[in-house]
Amino acid sequence: MSTILELDGVIAGYGAGDILKGVDLSVEAGTITCLIGPNGAGKSTVLKTVSGLLRPRKGTVTFDGHAIGRLSPKARLLLGIVHVPQERSLFPAMSVWDNLLMGGYLIKDSKVLRDRLDEAVASFPICRARAGEHAGSLSGGEQKQVELARTLVLDPRLILLDEPSIGLDPKSRQLVFESIRALSSSGRTILLVEQNARSGLAASDFAAVMESGRVQLTSTGASLLENPEVARLYLGAGTAGHATVLAPSTDSPGPSARTPGEEPR
Amino acid sequence: MHALVQGVILGVLTGGVYALMASGQTLIFGIMKVVNLAQGAMVILGAYLAYQLFVSFGIDPFLAIPITTLIMFAVGVAVQLLFLRPLRREDRSELSLLVTFAVALLLEGFMSITWNTSYRSINTGYENASWTVFGYQITQVRLWAFLLSLAALGLLFLLLNRTRFGRAVRATVQNPDSARLLGVESDRVAALGFGLGAATAAAAGSVYGLLYPFNSGSHYDLISRLLSIVVLGGLGSVGGAVVAAVIVSTSSAIVASTVSPSWSEMTFFVILMLVLLVRPQGLFGTVGRGAL
Ligand SMILES: Nc1ncnc2c1ncn2[C@@H]1O[C@H](COP(=O)(O)OP(=O)(O)OP(=O)(O)O)[C@@H](O)[C@H]1O
Ligand SMILES: [Mg+2]
Repeated sequence: MSTILELDGVIAGYGAGDILKGVDLSVEAGTITCLIGPNGAGKSTVLKTVSGLLRPRKGTVTFDGHAIGRLSPKARLLLGIVHVPQERSLFPAMSVWDNLLMGGYLIKDSKVLRDRLDEAVASFPICRARAGEHAGSLSGGEQKQVELARTLVLDPRLILLDEPSIGLDPKSRQLVFESIRALSSSGRTILLVEQNARSGLAASDFAAVMESGRVQLTSTGASLLENPEVARLYLGAGTAGHATVLAPSTDSPGPSARTPGEEPR
Repeated sequence: MHALVQGVILGVLTGGVYALMASGQTLIFGIMKVVNLAQGAMVILGAYLAYQLFVSFGIDPFLAIPITTLIMFAVGVAVQLLFLRPLRREDRSELSLLVTFAVALLLEGFMSITWNTSYRSINTGYENASWTVFGYQITQVRLWAFLLSLAALGLLFLLLNRTRFGRAVRATVQNPDSARLLGVESDRVAALGFGLGAATAAAAGSVYGLLYPFNSGSHYDLISRLLSIVVLGGLGSVGGAVVAAVIVSTSSAIVASTVSPSWSEMTFFVILMLVLLVRPQGLFGTVGRGAL
């Protein structure tokens, strides 16, 4: 297996302060990696530095051997990185079909575009069934499917999914995770942020835990599921904690020490 | 009754022209969240360009429109590149008020120097021709102006709804981050969008110069009207701007012809306030985002 994405000492933020305080993370090609952590830890911000919505202040982001930290979102898209953000990302007053077409905005060859659209529609039939409707009039779960379909139009190599199951009922959530596994089995790499840590970890090959702007722990998805500390903090077993910092993975194989006082927002 | 119908005719015809000006302004807002206070000055500059082409080369203002729109498109792109792009994304909305006002003053200064401040009008010889239909007077120039505005709005509509660039513009209006994530270069869309807004100002300007006498200070009047129209229609909504323009100018014209011209200016501010009391986002606005 080879590393396709690597973040090394990434520092980034929006205004005055730094939100990411030195993020190290590597993602293996063809796998699903799940990023978990409390609200405000900086998970979405990590994805933004990979897709180019935000440029790192320090540190490097490497994708498939290219240093991409200073590239525009468009250039990264052309390399095969697609980001499905946390908030609703469809264009609400455009039709479902126009939303799909926007997925192919950079595709110049009309035959390629047609093939990709066909492929997307085959995987997500809702795009044909509701093609003419305003995307904003679809339910949250339906919109998520269109978002995933739009992602397929780009034929990406790396897909960044930010909390794809947020606000979905169990059935739709299951559907989303099935889609994610399908995307992955066609050889694509997926970096997933998931608040439903149990489903997220179960679906993933690898996992990383973020707190306060750093990756505190990386492991396989399965072993994190069995990790009692992680279970207590993120899987809803016992009282859900929120102010605990796990020890960095470099110091010890498992989480142990806690540093009090550092309250993530 | 006669006065009322006459008012409606006049109002609808004039409304078309305002719709064209306002559509450019609301488009610029939708794309960049920039309230362009220079839109009025751009209309007047368009009028001066049409005036100059007519005086120097005898080009009819209607035929001059392709030339003036091209020039103003370039002016718009330049304004965006020089004055708006350097602003940081986070405080662009607030600072843009100051910057576009400065641009308006700059254009005003340029126009005062080039054409001095005396009122100009474009005297084509057909400006007073009119038809009488069932006893109602229809000024030919106004009818042509109206039809031209409709055609320009139609082109704008096709551009926005049927082309790849138009899809990118609408996407940027509705969800700028998502658009960037799909490869839309927001800076480029912003520059071209600003150019497009200026181009509509130029087309409307040619017509404005035919309908009314103007000087370099005329843009103050115009911008206050345009702002009211754009807010009434819902910021960022082109369709809303068109409807609002027709409502505003029809109601002013009706009041002018049935009550008194001195009340007509007041009318649309009253309408504006009433609508905003009920729908703060304007007739067709969505909260926060444009609905283009
Ligand atoms: N656009 C922004 N401008 C300013 N600050 C921001 C912005 N987006 C996020 N932040 C700040 O960055 C910090 C990390 O946010 P981020 O969205 O990365 O967290 P997260 O781990 O994804 O949280 P959640 O689980 O709630 O989605 C937060 O404190 C947030 O306030
Ligand atoms: Mg997040």
